[in-house]
Order: sequence, then structure tokens, then C-alpha cells
Amino acid sequence: MTDTPDSDDVSRRTYLKLAGGAGAATFLAGCTGGGRESTTESTDGSGDSESTEETSGDDSDSSTEYNALEVQHWWTGGDGGAAVQALLEGFSEQYPDIELTENPVAGGAGQNLRAVIKKRILNNDPPSTWQAWPGANLQPFTDADKLEDIEESVWGHNDMKNAYLDGPQEAAQPAGNYVSVPLNIHRLNNLFYNVEVVEDAGVDPASIDSPSALVDAMATVDEAGYVGMAQQTNSAWSTGQLWAQVLLGEYGADVYADVTAGNVEANADAVRDSLDIVKQYSEYYPNDAGSISWQDANSKVISGDAAFFHQGDWAAGMYRAQDDFEYETNWDHVAFPGTEGLYSLNMDSFPMPTNNPSPEATKAFLRYVGSVDAQERFNPKKGSIPPRTDVPQDAFGPFLQNQMDDFSNSEAQPLSIQHGLAVAPDALTAFEDAMASFISSYDVEAAYSAIQSAFQ
Amino acid sequence: MSSHILKRLLDRLRDDGQPVRTDGGTAAAGSETAGDAPDLGSALSSLRESDAVRSAPFWLPPFLLMGFFVYGAISWNIVISFTDFGGLTLPTYDPSTFDLEMYRRAFSDGQFWIATRNTFVLLISFTGLSLAGGLGLAILVDRGIRFENWFRTIYLLPFSLSFVVTAVFWRWMYNFDSGLINASLRSIGLDFVASKWLTGSIDTGALGAIPLVPDTFYFKLFAVIFALLWQFSGYAMVVYLAGLRAIPNDQYEAARVDGASILRMYRRVILPQLRASTVSAAVVLMVFALKAFDFLYVLFGSNPGPTADILSTMMYRQAFSANQWAYGSAIAVILFLVALTVVAPYLYGEYRRGEL
Repeated sequence: MTDTPDSDDVSRRTYLKLAGGAGAATFLAGCTGGGRESTTESTDGSGDSESTEETSGDDSDSSTEYNALEVQHWWTGGDGGAAVQALLEGFSEQYPDIELTENPVAGGAGQNLRAVIKKRILNNDPPSTWQAWPGANLQPFTDADKLEDIEESVWGHNDMKNAYLDGPQEAAQPAGNYVSVPLNIHRLNNLFYNVEVVEDAGVDPASIDSPSALVDAMATVDEAGYVGMAQQTNSAWSTGQLWAQVLLGEYGADVYADVTAGNVEANADAVRDSLDIVKQYSEYYPNDAGSISWQDANSKVISGDAAFFHQGDWAAGMYRAQDDFEYETNWDHVAFPGTEGLYSLNMDSFPMPTNNPSPEATKAFLRYVGSVDAQERFNPKKGSIPPRTDVPQDAFGPFLQNQMDDFSNSEAQPLSIQHGLAVAPDALTAFEDAMASFISSYDVEAAYSAIQSAFQ
Repeated sequence: MSSHILKRLLDRLRDDGQPVRTDGGTAAAGSETAGDAPDLGSALSSLRESDAVRSAPFWLPPFLLMGFFVYGAISWNIVISFTDFGGLTLPTYDPSTFDLEMYRRAFSDGQFWIATRNTFVLLISFTGLSLAGGLGLAILVDRGIRFENWFRTIYLLPFSLSFVVTAVFWRWMYNFDSGLINASLRSIGLDFVASKWLTGSIDTGALGAIPLVPDTFYFKLFAVIFALLWQFSGYAMVVYLAGLRAIPNDQYEAARVDGASILRMYRRVILPQLRASTVSAAVVLMVFALKAFDFLYVLFGSNPGPTADILSTMMYRQAFSANQWAYGSAIAVILFLVALTVVAPYLYGEYRRGEL
């Protein structure tokens, strides 16, 4: 449960903070208050925020009465909680006449919220909007015709179509039309490493040019007496993520997209080989990989017991929370070998359901989610980057600034498998089954046929 | 038993309670004035006098609540399993479209058979071992040892912990590097026994040729069973202890006078009298085994993998992750039938012996 992957995972690092008992509530409240003032100031000058305000002015003229807006999400604590509060405060400032009800559902890294949403959609009683992975994850909703086209009403505003890159835009259109607005991006093709450890072992991460070359690097690290790759195999999702990056790095974005589109047989060698590389990695996992969480695994990098770590960039939140563990001096990051120039997406978005209890207020909210102001408030606190490429970088730390540069300059933005962007929920469930079997036996052939039947 | 009490209570009421009798009398008088329906009147009054009706305020509300929320939900689930309900479109519930497709799908799904196999392995080994462990503890505690109450409390305490708590700390216990189990093994020089309890396996070698013995034996499910055993054998102990205490001391003494050894005494005299305790503890333990979902979910998330997947985790995944509601329902119905085959013989046996 606590190990299920998600963008919410970033917030988990604040467990440490909370456990420290630093009066988290007051601390966060102070943070958001301060953050709000400064962001408002900084955006006031920019043209974007003016245009947002103009649109909002238009709206309140055209429809004087807004129905109450109900927003459901699973960011109930930590980074996610602080970020969503900043977002909602920003929205209330721009639309003071919209009554906003926040209705968060905690737990299960979103699984509980997804169950609530499905039930409400089936009962034809949807909330105004909710936090959802975009992309194929929304396919059941578009199949049942439960989402509204918002190309005109939302994507036509705020210059959104120019500001979003192709990958995020593709994810906003699971059935070919815009139904959702991505708010944040967590990158998945990362390789984090402990600088001292790799220097001690004599490995240069920047020179590792492919996933298969990483095996040799880990062997060198292993000989120097460190754990090659801090990975958890207690639950299957981390391995699912890792396999996807290996496939991407070794065979490129086109093969990756083809495989997720269901053409596994046509790429049989690529799938088998990438599984085999993951199997080779597994020899350099820590001994207790089977009984630890990803946070425990990441601690091995922080403590200098392990060299490399693959995870979404929420893992950097743990480094940030660690005293005396600084970016570029103690830990560093390269794109997962072979995936330079790519930015693997894991996103959260807000869709627009049909039979909406507050159509106008929801559109106003979605337009706001797609604005510079919203993404500049939300993402620095969340530890993610904005999907808009025109958000000022000042509010972000040095690591996220580099990630934003990588994103703006990326050739392609492949959609995540493990986080529901590239494959529909039933295929994802079957894929997770395949990975759960794979980590117990590392049987490449069995995993291949399971993936094949999952994606077809 | 409770119906006995209820009946006696009502009899008492009838004897002492004048108002009740007067009430009945009025109804009879009313029917007399109607003239030609004395039979109906007396039938009505006898109906009103009947136990079932008079006790209705006691049994009817819980009956309706249970009927709706438990049996209603089960029936609804069975109906869904006959449809093709998946995704976010409600099924039509048209009886002409009902079929057994989801059950066919389950029976041809390899994963389903793996989950079923694991469910039965868990059910049988967990129940058997818990009963054995509980009986052993109960006999020890019953031998009049010192600090008996302390031991009883210590053994029972894990039972009071939630699955969530025990799952988390067993995960720590099973840690290869720092877990208590491997640490203890290493400290007594048994390094070679220390294993990756949650992911490891051993090759069964030549034994693999025997039918039903797998080529590779994975520890995962047995790690789970061991943890559950730790948690539940205390419960079995308490049930057995109550059974042991109910056996009169004379029988121990008589056996001893007749020269029976301790082993023989327990085997021939004591154990046969623990039948009722065994059956009731076994039923409760089996039902717990079928519900081991929480433990697995906390330990591994919704997908424990083929070496520890059971029907309830598979059901949850199919319904709530994959949106295959009808398929999930079909698995739920199968799980329900398994639970029923566990409980029904017990209930029937109790009924036959007049204890229900």
C-alpha cells in the first residue's frame, strides 16, 4: 500500500519531517502563505497572468452564478498537500465568487480515490473534477462517454496549445480530443547516484551510454564493495518502471511506443532483451530488496551503501530533506542510460466529466490549472515540473531547473506504462501481474508472453 | 439457545402480563360480532399469540438489516457475476443476457488456478498448524505452570493486533540483512540457513519428480503462513484451554490411577473430548485464512505475485484496478462458495446435534 507508486510518493518523504514533529501544520501554513504572496508579485508583471485575469473577468460577467465547485484529489499530506493548497488558494484569489469544496480521499496512493470516482461516475454523480492520471488511464471514461471535450472552452485559453509540448498534449487526448488538463510532470527516466561512491569505484555515470553498459558499471561498483543498484522488489511496480526505461534506453522511443500500442510480437527481441537486462541488474540489487520500500532503497544511496538508484524524480525529495546531502556534490542525476533527449512522463491532470454539477466553475478551474500562475504555485512545492514550458524557473530549485531545461529541449516525451499514461487500466493490471511473476522467478520467457498478452 | 430464552421469557410474559391477555380478548370479541368468521378470528388471535409474531420486535430489525446488507449484497454480487459488467458503463441486467462466461474465463485463466492453489495451501496449512500450535500451548499452560496468566496473555496478545501492524513488522523481521530472524540465525552460527524469506526459493532437486511437489519451492507463501501462525495460534490456545478446563479433574485422576502415561492419557481421554473446540476454532481460523487479504495487501500491495497470490487479492485487482467488475464478482462468488463449504458442514453438524 505505502509502496504503490505515484506522484503522491513525493509527499512520503515528509513522513520523516512529520515524524520529526516539527509542527508540520504551522510550518506548511507559513510556507504556503509566503509562497502565495511572492508568486503573485512575480506573475503580476507578466502578460500571462493578466490574460488569465481578463478571462476570469469575462467569465464572471457572462455567467453571474457559479455552482459550487467540488475538487477531489489524493494529495492529503506532505508535499502534495502543501502544493494543492497553494493551487487552490491561487484559484480562490482569481475567482473569489466560486465556492470551492475540496473533497480529498487519502490512501492507497490514489487507489481509494479511483474507487470513489468510479462509483460516482457509475452513479452519474461525478464531482466537478478530480485528480487523475491522463492518457490511456482515462480510456474507460472516454469509452463510456463520461468526459467532455474541452478543446474550445479550456485548451483555447491561456495559449495552452503552444505552451504544452506534444507528449503532454497527447496524454490529454486519450480518445483523440482534449478531455483533461495536466498539472505536473514527474520524470521517470532518471538514474540517481551517490557521487562519492561512483568516484570511489571509478565509474563515470555520464559515460554510460546504454542500459546494457550500466550492467558493467554496476559490476565495477560491486567489486568496489557497494550495492550496484538500490532497488526494491517487495512490490512489482518499481521493476515495471525500470523495465520500461531499459526498453526505452536500449531500443528508443519508437519501439517503446510500438510495444505499448500492443505490437509486442513485432518487437519480441527488444522486449526479451530488455527483460534480460533487468534480470542482469537484479544481481546487483541489495540483499534485502524483497522486504524494503523504495524509500528504504533510496536511503542506501543517501548512506553511501549503494551507487545507483532508478526511480521517478520524486526520489529527489528525499535528498532535499536530508541535511548535508547536496545536489551535485553528494548526489547527482543523469538521464537513464540511452534515454538522453527523452523525458518520460508521469503526470497528474484534472478531467472534465459529463453531467458536471458546475460546468462553468469547472471550466474556470481547468483553465486556471492550465495557467502559468497555477503551475508555478503547485510544482515547486510538489517537487515536479510544470508541463507548460513558459513557466519562470525562479521558484524552482537547481535540480528541478535542470529537469525543466531537459524537458524543454526533449525530442520526445514517452508516456509512462506503470503510471497509466500509455496503457489502459486492465492492461496495466495484467502488466503488473507479469512483473510480479518476473521478480519472483526472473523467467524472461514467461514474462515476455505475459507482457504480450497484457498489451494486445 | 437464545431462542429458548426468548420463548421462556415470552411464556412468562403471557402468564403475568394481564394487558396482553386483555388485548387478545378484545380481538376475539370483535370477531364474534362479525358473526360468521370465528375461525378467522381465532386464527388471527393465535397468530398474534404466536411466538414468531410476538417476538418480532426482537428479531425483525436485525433480520432486515442482515438480509439487506449481507444477503442482499451477496445476491447482487451473484447477479453481477452473470453480466459482462466492465469499465464504466452500467450493465443492463437483462436476464436474457445472463451467462456463465465469467466463470468459464476464470476456469481457463492460469492465474486463477495459481491463486486457488495458494488459497488452499494457505487454508489447510495455516489452519492445521495453528490448531496444532494452539493445542500444544494450551496443554502446556494447563499443566499448572507458574505465571500461567502471564503466558496466556503473552500468547494471546498478537491476536489483538491488527493485520496492518503485524504485516509491517514481519516485513522487517524477514529483512535479509537486518531482520530479527536472520540476525538470530547468524548469532547461533546458522548463517547458511539465513535466507531471503520473502523472495527466496530452494531447488527441490530430486524431490521435484514426486507429483504435487514443485521443482522450485518458494518461501514467500510460507513466510506469510508463519507470520499468520504466530498471530493466530494464541486464539486456538484460548479455545482449547476453555475445552480443557471443561473436562472434569476426575478423568485425569482416573486415567492416572489406571496407569495411563501422560501421552496416552491425552490421546485417549482428553483429545477426543476436544472435538467441539477443534471444530469451532478450525472454522474461525479457516475464515480468517480466506480473509488474509489485509495481511498480503499491506505486505506486498495488491499484487503479491504468483507465489503468494490468493483469490481475494486477485478479486480485488480484477475489480478495482482493472475495472473488470463482473470478473471480480465471479471470483468473489467462487470464494464465497469455498467459504460456504468450510462453514456449512459445521453449521449442519451443530444443527444435527441440536446445538443450534
